[in-house]
Amino acid sequence: MLRYVARRLLHLIPVLLGISFLVFLLVHLVPGDPVRVMLADAGSPEQVERMRRQLGLDRPIHVQYASFVVRAVQGDFGRSIHTRRPVAQEVAFRIPYTVRMAVAATLVAVALGVVLGAIAAMHHQSALDYGTMVVALAGVSLPNFWLGLVLILVFSLHLRWLPPAGADSWLHLILPAVTLGTSSSAIIARLTRSSMLEVLRQDYIRTARAKGVGPRRLVYRHALKNAMIPVVSIVGMQFASLLGGAVIVETVFGWPGIGRLAVDAIFTRDIPVIQAVVLVAAVIFVFMNLLVDLLYGLLDPRIRYG
Amino acid sequence: MTRWKALPVLLVVVALLAMGAGSGGAGPARGGTLTMVIGSDPPSLDPHRTPSVNIAHAVMYETLVTVDRRTGEFIPGLAESWEVSQDGTAITFKLRRGVKFHDGTPFNAAAVKTTFDRLVSKETNAPGASWVGTLTRTDVVDDLTVRLVFSKPYAPIFSSLRISFLAILSPTAIAKMGADYGQNPVGTGPFRFKQWIPNDRIVYERNPDYAWGPAHYKNRGAPNFDQLIIRIVPDESTRVIAFERGDIDILPGAPARDARRMMREGKFPFIQIPTTSGTYLGLNVKKPPINDVRVRRAIGHAINTDEVARIALEGLAVPMLSPIAPTIWGYWDGVKQFALNHDPDRARALLAEAGYRPGPGGAMMKDGKQVEFTVWTYARMTNVRVAVVLQSQLRTAGIKLNIEQMEPATLLASTQRGEHDAILISYGWPDADILYYFFHSSRLATTNRVHYVNTQVDKLLEDGQTTVDTTKRLEVYKQLQRILLAEVPWVPLASELSVNFNQSYVQDVYYDKFGNLLLLDAYRTR
Repeated sequence: MLRYVARRLLHLIPVLLGISFLVFLLVHLVPGDPVRVMLADAGSPEQVERMRRQLGLDRPIHVQYASFVVRAVQGDFGRSIHTRRPVAQEVAFRIPYTVRMAVAATLVAVALGVVLGAIAAMHHQSALDYGTMVVALAGVSLPNFWLGLVLILVFSLHLRWLPPAGADSWLHLILPAVTLGTSSSAIIARLTRSSMLEVLRQDYIRTARAKGVGPRRLVYRHALKNAMIPVVSIVGMQFASLLGGAVIVETVFGWPGIGRLAVDAIFTRDIPVIQAVVLVAAVIFVFMNLLVDLLYGLLDPRIRYG
Repeated sequence: MTRWKALPVLLVVVALLAMGAGSGGAGPARGGTLTMVIGSDPPSLDPHRTPSVNIAHAVMYETLVTVDRRTGEFIPGLAESWEVSQDGTAITFKLRRGVKFHDGTPFNAAAVKTTFDRLVSKETNAPGASWVGTLTRTDVVDDLTVRLVFSKPYAPIFSSLRISFLAILSPTAIAKMGADYGQNPVGTGPFRFKQWIPNDRIVYERNPDYAWGPAHYKNRGAPNFDQLIIRIVPDESTRVIAFERGDIDILPGAPARDARRMMREGKFPFIQIPTTSGTYLGLNVKKPPINDVRVRRAIGHAINTDEVARIALEGLAVPMLSPIAPTIWGYWDGVKQFALNHDPDRARALLAEAGYRPGPGGAMMKDGKQVEFTVWTYARMTNVRVAVVLQSQLRTAGIKLNIEQMEPATLLASTQRGEHDAILISYGWPDADILYYFFHSSRLATTNRVHYVNTQVDKLLEDGQTTVDTTKRLEVYKQLQRILLAEVPWVPLASELSVNFNQSYVQDVYYDKFGNLLLLDAYRTR
């Protein structure tokens, strides 16, 4: 098991190198240039050249990339071109905010999704089943920015229960978490339902039922655990993709997370910040995948790691 | 381009509606927190390391010169008086006595010199360095006298001097903080910096030592509020809701649609101020078919700017007749007789002169092809709405307009290379010298996005910078406005109005003619 984890972590190195190189190339290929953005394009050509030299952007791309890698390995990501703050500080400040929101959203998604999915499966082909799945379909289809604004309108403006923007307290977390969690919860509900249906058709369930196990115990004790394996993998993936969905939700709710940092950095072509954000996201993705694979083993003792 | 946009320089015209009348009683109440909201973080609170300055700088920094909020005239800020030399190449400032920075450092001529030397130094490479034009050095005459020396006269300097790019910074803090000064800024203003949570808020506290407020305030001492919070909320609908709920006390620049609704509902006091921003259609004069001046004039006559302001901009804009918005110094009222008035028949006649003939569906055709061009614009709602209105107006004159939306940095880079036919964009600037950036041939690879070259215009733009006598300088810009309206590298469209709301329990909030929020007299009734 430890060897397995170590090997998976070693895989991270080529992944990160590949990603960082692709991002580096992309940022240089896209039109627009951080120096022009920074100088608000009122700068004279000499001023532009000078700043480019100061930032080391006048060097050939492969030299810039090599120097980035060498410094990044030592933990030095440089300073943001746009804000002049250390990049590590910019990213480190925002990660807790984004993780807090992603965790809360995942809790919402799992709670809603698993309950709805299980209910639908237990009442297969009934009105309750169809109703739940229509709700789930609506959940996947509602765009985040729209749902977010509607929730703000209802819960902030009309009912005055919750604040619309900011990150001061756990109250501020509720609306963004629900917004972000809704679409994942719909996906999880659908998956839980189909996975449950499959498990419920299995022989051991029929045996348990024949032995006189009550319906509630049957579902919670015998079926749900086995039905959870595919669900866990999708929850892991959803968590990672929540970090991406956070871009929109963070903007709507004025949440100071990593998504907004990424968008601002892209608009200003702030290369060091873009690099750092993408690398952080990649690391989170890889770790979530690993975590999911390890969780399988807990849920299903038959799974072995070689 | 952020620079023109982030500096909405505005002019107060009307203060309407229930300003709540501060009914008698003792003076304004002290204490409390004032919360306002803006859409994005300033890149840095170091004015030398940011491409844009805004309210976040203005509340904590001060400039040598400021503007009287009623008359719009330059009045003493940190300088008590000033004198321009005969040849216009030197300005000597007498500085105010007894002013201290937030860190206790005394304000004096040396502080001014340190600040301006840093602003123009090659090592700093400040985005705002162009605001001081031809400034070559700053001389300390005595402890409270300082002289700015220019290589040649730089007429727009007074428009610049009141902008936070030219604010005076604490020399002690600059030396101590180095590259981190932007997160630990120190000025002389009524509020001092306390905390900055990126993408969330900037917090300031009352500067208790403050005693040098400009003459247009009743209160020239420390502000009434203990604390000032600037919240950063990027989504405009969320900003409006946070204000309507009462989480925010002052909402500057409400989005047009919400502003219309809230003005109608009448629940909140508001003030409507013209801005020095202008939205225009820039025509790349190198690209056929619009390289033909007759086609460009036809486009100008086909466009109805009244409709652009009324429909596309929700009536919260005034039509613009000249490339210079009416509130910018250098605007000339006589421009009306040269303006490109709405006249679709004239547009068709001009196209006929250029060899186009009416074809099927009224399209103006030459060699089997309709007169057609593509406009590039930001994917910003108001820009897109303006573009769509233009599209329908041009169609009635037989001209086909295609609209392409793109992301700002791409738009700016591609237009510098001249790949576009036309561009739809806005600017904001306090002085007619802005025309230099847009039309001088030395700016071809950068801000001259219409790729316009005219030696007579070049000469006039240079004269505009060096003519210190304001009457003569105005003549220069009159001539420029006439030429630009005849040659039509731009079709000026509209200048937006800013609607600023505040809660009725916040009293005596003022704005100067550039739209800057003035907070010294302001107080909360609860």
